[in-house]
Amino acid sequence: MPDPHSEVQAAVTLRVNGAEHTLSIDPRTTLLDLLRETLHLTGTKKGCDHGQCGACTIHVNGRRVNACLALAVAHDRDEIRTIEGLAEGDRLHPMQAAFLQKDAYQCGYCTAGQIMSAVALLDEPCGPEDADVRELMSGNICRCGAYANIVAAIQQVRGS
Amino acid sequence: MSATAEAPPMRIIGHPQPRIEGRLKVTGAAHYAADHHLPGMLYAVPVGATIAKGTIAAIDARVAEQMPGVRAVLRRGSFPALAAAKPDFASVADLEGTVYVDERRPPFDDDTVRYYGQYVALAVADTLEQAKAAADAVRVTYRAEAPEVDPALTAGEMTVKSERGDPDAAFAAAPVTVDQRYGMATETHNPIELHATIAAWEGDSLTVHEATQGVVNHRNVLAAMFGIPREKVQVISRYLGSGFGGKLFPWTHSPLAAAASRQLGRPVKLVLSRPMMFHAVGQRPAITQRIRLGAERDGRLTSLRHDYVNATSLLDDYEENCGEATPHMYATPNLRVASGLAKRSIGTPTSMRGPGAVPGLYALESAMDELAIALDMDPVALRLKNEPPLDQGLGLPFSSRHFQECLTLGAERFGWARRDRRIGSMARDGLTLGWGMAACSWLAERFPCSARVELRADGTARVAAAVQDIGTGTYTIMAQMVAEALAIPLSRVEVALGDTSLPAGPVSGGSMMSASLVAPIQAAITRAGEALVALAAGNPAAPFAGAKAGALRFAEGRVAAAEGNRQAVPFDQLLRALGQEAVSGLGRAEGTFPPKEKPTHSKHSFGAHFVEVTWQPELARLRVSRVVSVIDAGRILNPLAARNQIEGSIVMGVGMALFEETDYDPRSGAPVNASLADYVVATNADAPAMEVHFIEYPDTHLNALGARGVGEIGLAGTAAAIMNAVYHATGIRVRDLPVKLEQLLG
Ligand code: FES
Ligand code: FES
Repeated sequence: MPDPHSEVQAAVTLRVNGAEHTLSIDPRTTLLDLLRETLHLTGTKKGCDHGQCGACTIHVNGRRVNACLALAVAHDRDEIRTIEGLAEGDRLHPMQAAFLQKDAYQCGYCTAGQIMSAVALLDEPCGPEDADVRELMSGNICRCGAYANIVAAIQQVRGS
Repeated sequence: MSATAEAPPMRIIGHPQPRIEGRLKVTGAAHYAADHHLPGMLYAVPVGATIAKGTIAAIDARVAEQMPGVRAVLRRGSFPALAAAKPDFASVADLEGTVYVDERRPPFDDDTVRYYGQYVALAVADTLEQAKAAADAVRVTYRAEAPEVDPALTAGEMTVKSERGDPDAAFAAAPVTVDQRYGMATETHNPIELHATIAAWEGDSLTVHEATQGVVNHRNVLAAMFGIPREKVQVISRYLGSGFGGKLFPWTHSPLAAAASRQLGRPVKLVLSRPMMFHAVGQRPAITQRIRLGAERDGRLTSLRHDYVNATSLLDDYEENCGEATPHMYATPNLRVASGLAKRSIGTPTSMRGPGAVPGLYALESAMDELAIALDMDPVALRLKNEPPLDQGLGLPFSSRHFQECLTLGAERFGWARRDRRIGSMARDGLTLGWGMAACSWLAERFPCSARVELRADGTARVAAAVQDIGTGTYTIMAQMVAEALAIPLSRVEVALGDTSLPAGPVSGGSMMSASLVAPIQAAITRAGEALVALAAGNPAAPFAGAKAGALRFAEGRVAAAEGNRQAVPFDQLLRALGQEAVSGLGRAEGTFPPKEKPTHSKHSFGAHFVEVTWQPELARLRVSRVVSVIDAGRILNPLAARNQIEGSIVMGVGMALFEETDYDPRSGAPVNASLADYVVATNADAPAMEVHFIEYPDTHLNALGARGVGEIGLAGTAAAIMNAVYHATGIRVRDLPVKLEQLLG
């Protein structure tokens, strides 16, 4: 653990949504806090900071990861994608469009994490049933309980 | 499916509408409180007490203050003491003047610690990492005392809340009785959005981005605590990561952040950690209830007594109003509802989704199931038998009550007739099935509210009010109301909310927001129309040159001459002809809650839940597999969002029945499971298959659209229906929530 009295900085290059950022950071910084507080990409949310809610789910090299459990310095040159990088210009990713259409949220706070998880799930081995999707989406808590619509949105995209 | 009775056809209201702010939510562009960044912003991290009762002996911040980036470690005496806000719950009926807060003591007010996690210091630094490290480095020593943590809740004194007839004598004489206690663990709201405050002073003005369900009340409380005029405070909450009541009223971190900002002359951001969400931001308190029912052999209730005691904090007197629905739910000539408090070393409790009626109906509806069994009667039939002709508690007619239809339709949709009443007699795929049901009810009232509507020359309209959208769909519903009234597409309505610079609005609580908005928005449109008519009449260039204002009518977004058959002119066309950018009108309506005068009707929503659980004794695996809910909540404004609300409530009810419990360490008074791994909420895999039906009888006693609100009713009765199903599957009556599997293993 670094000495909290020192002002150690670490250099890191992050590739976020296609853009490269070379930064000198406090080595204690999590990927989540770096995205939110330094890069101001606040679409990724903090719900627990302990890997227990899924609100901070992003993609690192194409796989879903809890950004709150990742130290930023450990992801030098990794390919990072956040909710802000999902749509192509004005064209929503089909998963975003499906969430909108199916009302797969209420407050919207867990939504970025749900969508990033759901997009990653498309490339994971997941059975065809709703129950399979429910199981693979259970790392993303929706306290508003919009689960039925979340499953419906994901199944719509998987079916298309 | 939904059936509409006597409703005039509408184009936009009553039709499923995707949320108008949905695009912002799915792209990450909706900015919640903690998403704001201000130049020069500092980060604050609170230090919470590690005892639940005692006094602070010393705070040693020498190390912390020397750490890199640290600007200050604030504690009592670091800044001018804040005033107590002098809260008055009745003031929520005062649109501009509401001042209410559950935890009355201002932060850092004295050296006494009354609950675990009470803020004792605040570390402020340039970065979040530095502030966290500094908070960890603050050494606090205490003179600890033994906390009050006795889980057995007993009250010194009981207060009678409702009484009729002679319930004691009727109970003694009843041939069939039930007398049981029902316990409910402390529940913590745990919205996924952490409480957050960003405070910034500019001169003597304070701007706060806050995760709050009530910007106006929040503003007034901060103004009172800092002793400044309300006009000097602006509170903003445009997107809220829900609250479930936990963000209704201000908590101490918010004035702390504002005090730090004033002290340091920089904007300050303070976001609570998940463990802190269990300390100083409220919870549904632990509750114990005793229900005594007396009935004739044919099922008619002759006596109903409901006694309840909830835990509250040492300083405050939060009452969980468990008897809210009891006096009107069923017919009985003899009834008494009484309440008491048990003071404990805990943070102040607060409203959590369906406060009062939700725990109250858990107990009552469990007892009704027990009574049905004692009578050897079907539980649906027992409820049908006890339909009251009026609200016998208030002595008033119901504004609209279609509870019996909820019961019969629910039974039909669920297939209740196929239920074999014998315990454990039903099975599917090797699983034991349990079928249970319960009723629900929730109050229907209005808060006072105002709104401004602007009609613009480009054909759009803007509606603005200092209300909040806490995930219930208020943005969309406001747009629907305006689009419907002006006969324009939904996409042409812009909605502004969540900002005290807009016309005052109430807290988002009690499922009252939609009902509260109807009249002020309609009035604002009428005023805007009058302004347009006045302009048209006075202007020689206009299509209505020479007409008297009184001879012109504004309706459906168009101005027409009252006589003759000249074509009506849409507002945008008229504005352009007049060379005007826009006209606007301000509307305002009084509320019904808390009532200032005796109401003429008892206004409540009703419903029934039918639940299937599956039980696998070999694996001790209990699941809620299927729920059918029928809800009688007046007109449904947006069926897409309304269904989502009921389904979300059912999911929360699964959590209440099976998982949710905040555990206080009996030695230290600390909530020991203060994380989302240890405080279990329902996940996607726990959600049952759900079927929600609305029976729509517009209730125009409450507002012209006849909408009563759907945010909370779905949670009422759900846990009872689940536990009644568990009894049917296992023969074990669990009377303490949440159920523990060991209880079911017998
Ligand atoms: S914030 Fe990362 S999992 Fe909760
Ligand atoms: S939409 Fe509110 S937590 Fe999921």
